[in-house]
This record gives sequence, C-alpha cells and structure tokens, in this order.
Amino acid sequence: MTVKEAVELLRKGLSYAKRTKYKEAMSYYDKALTLDPKNPEAWYLRASVLIDTGRSKEALVDCDKAIALDQNYAPAWSKKGLAYYNLELFKEGLFASTRASSLNGNDVTAWFIKGVCLDELGRSDEAQEAYGKSLELEIILDIENEKKKVGR
Amino acid sequence: MKTEMPLSKPIRRFLNTTEELLDTEISLLRQPEAEPQGTLVDIYTYDIERNVIIFPAQYIGLLKDFVIAKHCTNLMIKGAAAKKGEYKVCSYTEDSVAIGLRQIYLDALKDEVNKKDKLPVQKLIQMLFILFTHFNDDLNELPWNAIINASVYHRMPKIRKTQLYHVMKESKNDMDEMMEQEDIVPRRYFVLNKAMFYARDMFLAKTLPADELMPVLNIPQMKKFNHLEVKEMLTTRWTHTAWYQSKVFGDNMLDIIEKPLTQVNWSAEPSLDYYYDLYKIGINLTNQLISYMTMKDWYVWEKPKHLLMAHDNSKDYEKKALKRIFGDLISDSWEDDSS
Repeated sequence: MTVKEAVELLRKGLSYAKRTKYKEAMSYYDKALTLDPKNPEAWYLRASVLIDTGRSKEALVDCDKAIALDQNYAPAWSKKGLAYYNLELFKEGLFASTRASSLNGNDVTAWFIKGVCLDELGRSDEAQEAYGKSLELEIILDIENEKKKVGR
Repeated sequence: MKTEMPLSKPIRRFLNTTEELLDTEISLLRQPEAEPQGTLVDIYTYDIERNVIIFPAQYIGLLKDFVIAKHCTNLMIKGAAAKKGEYKVCSYTEDSVAIGLRQIYLDALKDEVNKKDKLPVQKLIQMLFILFTHFNDDLNELPWNAIINASVYHRMPKIRKTQLYHVMKESKNDMDEMMEQEDIVPRRYFVLNKAMFYARDMFLAKTLPADELMPVLNIPQMKKFNHLEVKEMLTTRWTHTAWYQSKVFGDNMLDIIEKPLTQVNWSAEPSLDYYYDLYKIGINLTNQLISYMTMKDWYVWEKPKHLLMAHDNSKDYEKKALKRIFGDLISDSWEDDSS
C-alpha cells in the first residue's frame, strides 16, 4: 500500500514541478521518500527539483542514492552530470553524462552535457561529436512535436 | 546572468559579454508554449527591469542555444543603439495609416477588375489594415533576421548545424504565410511579401554555403536533402512553388540586402560601436526595402513606445483612415460589422 501511495505522491509532485511550483513538488517528493525510500525515481525526481532551484550540491546526494539503488538508472546519471556541470566540475560531469548516454543513447541532455563538459575541458573535436548526437536527437523530437501540433 | 540550465561555452561567453557591454541583466525562461523561434522581451522596448529570453521548454540542447544566441545578438543591436544614439523602430501614425490603406485599396481595385470572383466589399475593407500591419511586422523583423543570422553564423561556428536546421524550418513557415489569403491579397503585395522572404532566404543561403546538413542527415525525415547544400535546398524549395514570379522582385531585394552586409567585417571585435554599426545598417536596409516597395510614407521611425501606442490605437487609426478613404459610405458597414 505504501508503495502505491508513494507513486501517487510522486505523480502529484511531478505535476507541480512541471508548473515550476517547486515548493509544493518538494513537499510531495519528501512524503513519497518517507513512505518508500527504496524507489530510485523518487530520489531522481527530488534531485531534479533541487537542481532547478539552484541546489546542485544537494542534488548530487540524491542522485547517488538513486544510483545506489539501481546502478543502471540512466536518468539519475544524467541528472548527476548536470549537477556536476552546474558546480563546474567538468571531469566528473563528463563521467556521469557518458555513463548516462551509454545507458540511454536517446537522452538529449546527457549528450549535450557531455558535449559541454568536453568543450570546457578543451576537447573540442570530441565535444562536436557529442553536440552532433544531441542535436540529431533534438531535431527528431522537434519534428515529432511539429507533427503532433499539425495533428491537433 | 544566473541560470541552472546548461549552456554551451560560446553562448555562455556571449551572454556574459552582452551583460557586461550593455550593463544589463538577462534571464532565460523555459516555457512549454513558447514560440519555436523564441521571444525577446527587452528593456529597450518595454518598461521592465531586466531582459528575458523565452524559448520552448522542449529545447534543451543546441536548439535552445541557437535561440538564445539569436535573441542575444538582437539585444546587443538594440542596446548599442540605445546607448550610442537612439533605438528606433518602424512605427505608424494616423496619417501614415491613411496613406497606406488608400494605396492598398487602389491596388486592390485594379486587381478586382480582372477577377472572376469578386471579393465581397466588407472583406476587401477588412483586408486593408491587416495587410498594412503585416508589412509593418515584416519590416521590423525580416532585415534584422538576415543581419542576426549572419552575425551568429560568423561568430559561433559551433552552432552552425543547429542554425541550418532553424533557417530551414523558419523559411518553410514563412513561405506558408499568406498562402491561404492568396486569392484575397492584391497580387502586388502577395508578390512583394514573398519576395522579401525569398531575398532573405537567398542571402542566408549564400551566407551559409559550405555546411552540408551533417549530422542532421542521419534523421530519416531529412534524408531527401542528402548531399545538397543550403543554397540548393532553398532554391529547390522556391522554384517549386507557385510564387516563383516573386523571383524578379526578390532578386532586386537580395541586392539591397546583400550590398551593405557583404561590407561588414563579421569577425571584428564585438563592441558597442560594432553593434551600433549593425543597427545603422539595419535601418538603412529597411529604408531601402521600404523605398523599393514604394511604401515610403506608410511608416515612421519612432521609439518602441510609439509603436506600442500605435498598436493600442490601431482600431481607431483604421477607422479614421477608412473614413478618409470612403467618407460616409463606410459608417454603416464598418461600424455594424465591428460592433
């Protein structure tokens, strides 16, 4: 029962986060984590809000908790890369985003963070490659979005 | 600028330079319903504390960066103009609306003579001001679009592929514009409008010549453009369309756009003077386009506030202009319809 309740709380939290109502989102995520601390998605979602509110250091802790629960949980690796980037720890950001992009090759953010970190580390050619991949995926998404709009 | 979103190195630098040179603050705002080309809400146009660049929430990587680069360049041009002289836009007054509407009406009458299916009078009258403001919008946007794209292309080589995709997409959207009104809009204006976009596209095609669409080609939807360069792509698109006749006008407009822009040293030190020069070129270019389209008395150069006021008063300007053209004939049909 608590697991089900936690999932419902996460859903509510996410809906608030999408509308940038971070305080409310945070409150739902906290409750969900109290009920079910073994859900990696809950840690990841809370990390997302922490990043969006400028608390990247705290987000790193949550990302690590999510990864400890599931080593192959790609979204947490991707968020971790972003948190490191915000903290200007580009080597660590590169490691996390590379792991994220190998777990999920379609993660635009992971490829982009990888490109940005490589660029900051002066590895321009490799950065271009990662940017290229990220752009390719982003364009596919954009084309799909346009199609949906036309369909509407 | 404080942001928690990742930005590529050249964009981050450019944002910082812009803030420093203009001594202003820029906020970046992600919005689900934002226009695909993004929006700039700036302190030189509106009474606000800081500048905001809005872009679609689904743009998370380079697509976002390109939108930011474009609006940031625009902000630099506006800011440099405001700091070095006076930032002005193409606006309109009660008198200029009357002149413009009268001219469009006369041209529409010439067209109507040869039409089998005549346009209902009410529709024709409504079309006059819509067309007038349409050209005002385009003149305030299109010449700057060419300048800004050229500047971004030369200054930020790392985002050229992204720019290419945007240019293709924007060109497609602009070409579709006015198509539904093709039978309503007087031929001259339809052709001139298309010609402006044709000229812009051709200028950009010449500016972005060397880059093929790699790695975008890996995308199935883009396969048909394989091995084509931008110029070929845009030319193919234009020559396969109904408004190819716009080419004659478009080529002349391309000349107008190209001449001043080929003189620009795009890699010069980015300073306020540099961006102020781009502003002056943009004004000059817009004036030449206005002259070419014989719309000289239609618009006036004024502060942005003047244009915002003109938009607020537009219903009134339109009504008064129609009264001047049609006298008492207008009162019944117009006021009945607008009430």
